[in-house]
Amino acid sequence: MPTEQLAYPPRMTEFTAPFWDGLREGRLSTTQCTSCAEISFPPKPLCPGCWSSDVTWIDLRGTGTLRSYTEVSAAPSMFAHEVPYTLCLVDLDEGVRCLSRVRNAWDELVPDARVEVVFREAEPAYLFEFVLFADPSTSTSEEQELP
Amino acid sequence: MEPVASVVGIGALPVGKYVDVLEHEMLAQALVQAVTDAGLSKEDIDALVFALPRPYCEQRYFGTFMAGYLDMPVDDILLEVLGNGMTGGLAFDLAVDRVASGKAKVAVALGVNREMHVPTGEHMHLSMRAVGDVDFHVPFGVTPIAWYALNATRYMHEYGLTREQLASIPVKNRRHAMLNPLAQMRKEISIQDVLDARQIVRPLGLLDVPPRSDGAVAIVVARPDIARSLGRHVDVVSRGFYHEGIHQVSSRPTDLTTFESARIASGKAYEGAGITASDLDFAEVYAPCSIVELILTESIGLFPRGTGGEAAAAGESSIGGRVPVSPSGGLASRGHPPHVTPLYNVYEAVEQLRGEAGDRQVVGAGIGAVTAELGDYNATLMHILSRPENRA
Repeated sequence: MPTEQLAYPPRMTEFTAPFWDGLREGRLSTTQCTSCAEISFPPKPLCPGCWSSDVTWIDLRGTGTLRSYTEVSAAPSMFAHEVPYTLCLVDLDEGVRCLSRVRNAWDELVPDARVEVVFREAEPAYLFEFVLFADPSTSTSEEQELP
Repeated sequence: MEPVASVVGIGALPVGKYVDVLEHEMLAQALVQAVTDAGLSKEDIDALVFALPRPYCEQRYFGTFMAGYLDMPVDDILLEVLGNGMTGGLAFDLAVDRVASGKAKVAVALGVNREMHVPTGEHMHLSMRAVGDVDFHVPFGVTPIAWYALNATRYMHEYGLTREQLASIPVKNRRHAMLNPLAQMRKEISIQDVLDARQIVRPLGLLDVPPRSDGAVAIVVARPDIARSLGRHVDVVSRGFYHEGIHQVSSRPTDLTTFESARIASGKAYEGAGITASDLDFAEVYAPCSIVELILTESIGLFPRGTGGEAAAAGESSIGGRVPVSPSGGLASRGHPPHVTPLYNVYEAVEQLRGEAGDRQVVGAGIGAVTAELGDYNATLMHILSRPENRA
């Protein structure tokens, strides 16, 4: 099967490369301030909290809570072939919120459900998405990764 | 409640689709209507504050072009402003400020928004680049209306709001629009119609969200003493603004069921006017979706948290109810030409306060609020307008 091409690819820069490279390696990563410990998402070359430029890359666990979601049926022309798809807001366990997609069917979703990251193989970049925790005691992101 | 400035003239085209007409032809019509309504002439105008047209407007440097088109020398200032959906609100705010600060005697806030000649899918391509972060959010296919749906899912979960209760807001607004000659959508709808409409961003369907629209508006603002020499006028008594430092998707977990900026900005506006929310006779709000109106009415203090859906379903926000909201029909029914929608809100508030709103007149309307927003109500701008005769 040919590799999926993203409808709207992100721009990758020298600074953000570790994030996008991480997704290819099955890691969701971001930056943390070494002065005040605030975690940013998305990664930033300076801390939005204290404006220090002293930041370091960290791996996120990729687990969190499904805060909200919506199924998009009317999409911009470039995403029209992907509808319907479900956008979500996930509050990661490290205390940051991200916007992504959740793969489960609408009827399976409920706010505050536990979710974990999976990786979407595409070019020119992989994306991170979420699925409901199948079994909280055993699941890891590797086991959840779809083909 | 001393006036900082007064609205002396209003002009607007019916909201709708304008294909075989140019932007400046539309706006010239609204401007002449407003200046005539004020009983002034072009020589009286010191300041022109334009809402920046949409990027589709062929003519760039539209403001100076327009002044040239109408042969209008301007003394104080001429500029175009932009601030997402708040654009028209910022134009009004600045026109008021030029007058309030003594820099201009008469200032006009005006704008034209024309976009119906661009196909929807193509338009969404442009608008999604205004949503969140183009590198970290847009690749997922986020749309401008999607973030309000995220509010809706969360609100329904937390407060047990039913889809029927939420549907009562579009139904109420359509009833208001049926009485408004400027409104774009004027065919009656029922709760069932809202529930049966095709999904757009679930749980919101086609009748929960605004149509695409064109429109043009001009609002003439004058010094209160000049206004009094002209006859009928409406006073601007206060304003409030707040931006949360968030661009739609906060990286810090925030509450999705309230608009913090609206609570703060409305508080400032009420304090400036020496009133409380309960003194408002109506609110003409910027609310693109049913859920936005619901959350906003709670955030600006018209209804307690968690009760806005119930209140709307009981008719409390209908004309004739306790505090009518969006008597014009609101964005989903009056229509939504985004860059000038806040100016249409001012237009409606002025008609209501003059007692000239015809069949949709809020009886005894003496104090009203208008709002504009940007983002997921990450910023709110509120103005309080009042009819002078209503004050002791």
